[in-house]
Amino acid sequence: MTQALAAQPTVDLVGRACPDIVVLTFDDILARHQGEIYRYAFQLARNRADADDLYQETLIKAYRAFPRLDSNANHRAWLYKIATNTFLSDRRKRGREDVLDEVTEATMPAPALDHAAALDARALLAEVEAFIAGLPLKQRLALIQRKYHELSYADIATNLKCSQDAARASVHEALRKLRDRFGDRL
Amino acid sequence: MELAMTMTDGPTGLTQTVDPEPQPPAGGREACRLAAEASQPGVDPCDVACEAMPGHCCGDLTTADEVWLRKHTAVCSYCANMLHSYEKVDSVLERLQDALTPVGAPPAWKPERERRRAGYARLDSPIGPLLVAATEQGVCEIGFAFREAEDAFRQRLVERGFAPVHDESVVQRVGPQLQEYFSGKRDRFDLPLDLSGVSPFTRSVLTATAEVPFGHLTTYREIAERTGRPSATRAVGNALGRNPIPVIVPCHRVVRSDGSLGGYTGGLWIKERLLSIEGRAPR
Repeated sequence: MTQALAAQPTVDLVGRACPDIVVLTFDDILARHQGEIYRYAFQLARNRADADDLYQETLIKAYRAFPRLDSNANHRAWLYKIATNTFLSDRRKRGREDVLDEVTEATMPAPALDHAAALDARALLAEVEAFIAGLPLKQRLALIQRKYHELSYADIATNLKCSQDAARASVHEALRKLRDRFGDRL
Repeated sequence: MELAMTMTDGPTGLTQTVDPEPQPPAGGREACRLAAEASQPGVDPCDVACEAMPGHCCGDLTTADEVWLRKHTAVCSYCANMLHSYEKVDSVLERLQDALTPVGAPPAWKPERERRRAGYARLDSPIGPLLVAATEQGVCEIGFAFREAEDAFRQRLVERGFAPVHDESVVQRVGPQLQEYFSGKRDRFDLPLDLSGVSPFTRSVLTATAEVPFGHLTTYREIAERTGRPSATRAVGNALGRNPIPVIVPCHRVVRSDGSLGGYTGGLWIKERLLSIEGRAPR
């Protein structure tokens, strides 16, 4: 589906194609952003099967919404917004009642001071990942969006339906908690 | 350890703030927020510094604030250690990101009912048996059957977002023009093409290549220039290597600047054969 020219050019029309006008098709946008959107889906869903589903659903929704999109729109931010909304509404449907503001602190006990474990880099990464997964959802999403995908606070605020200050505070709080839990063990 | 010292001058209560940092220009954009906060009465600059550290990790601080933070941590070992631990969190997050990168390309995403139907059939030719696929929009894929199995050809169509279906009518639709070309009776194709599912850069490379007339040669460099990326010759080579519609989109007419043939995904002999059909003797 395209926003302007529908048919692909025939071979003999190609010479008349104007190279200065770039009309993005959905496929163009997909090619540009699918890698990072897929990574985002994987970071949110935490397993391959759910990530694939989230990714598919996101793109189907984007594909359908694309014709209504302003051609000047920030396509990247738009895709992240759809992915985030899809993730959150899936969670709601599956009965995960936690809302963004609800505090669902990680219930993992603080680890014993085991130097051998602390030095095992992979185990540590797994622990950090699990800790992030246990953060309040708003902080977790804000952290992922800011640190892994470099979204602006304006875009994060749109995705999380909060103010920019709240978005920034969420990211900072997540980092603070990470430092408090892991800062001395790294 | 406090940097900004407030000295009360006797009973008159006059205060003088000694700020070791040079004063920012009045009304200047780079006014240092952290310095201003730290110089408030009763405020511990270490609190200000530690509060600012998550922002430092996110690139939120202005240059002036970064400078203030660095100066503070240069003289305050508590805060220096704190900053160091934040920076270690940062690098763990980076390693975690690498570890959380899924292996392999994103899956094909279109649900079956939204995929464009691509009929395909096998066609014989002087360069060996071909697999030719076409959608309603046009020819979308040509494969060399001696090089890849039908399953692999179908998989490529699926990856581009098509729904492949065996369809002998493609032979009547595309076959005659191909046969005419191979027997030297046709020098331009009058067939619509479907280049969907191809990256924008690859599409621009293919579009530029499609403009090269029968019997002419061009170089990777020239194609690169035409796509507006004159130094991207290797990327052009890669894109042509992924040409989904060889023969019709004439990547065989693209050679190296030094006169050598370059590559050809189907096998260099095919490139030579096609060029010889077009009256260009192999180099």
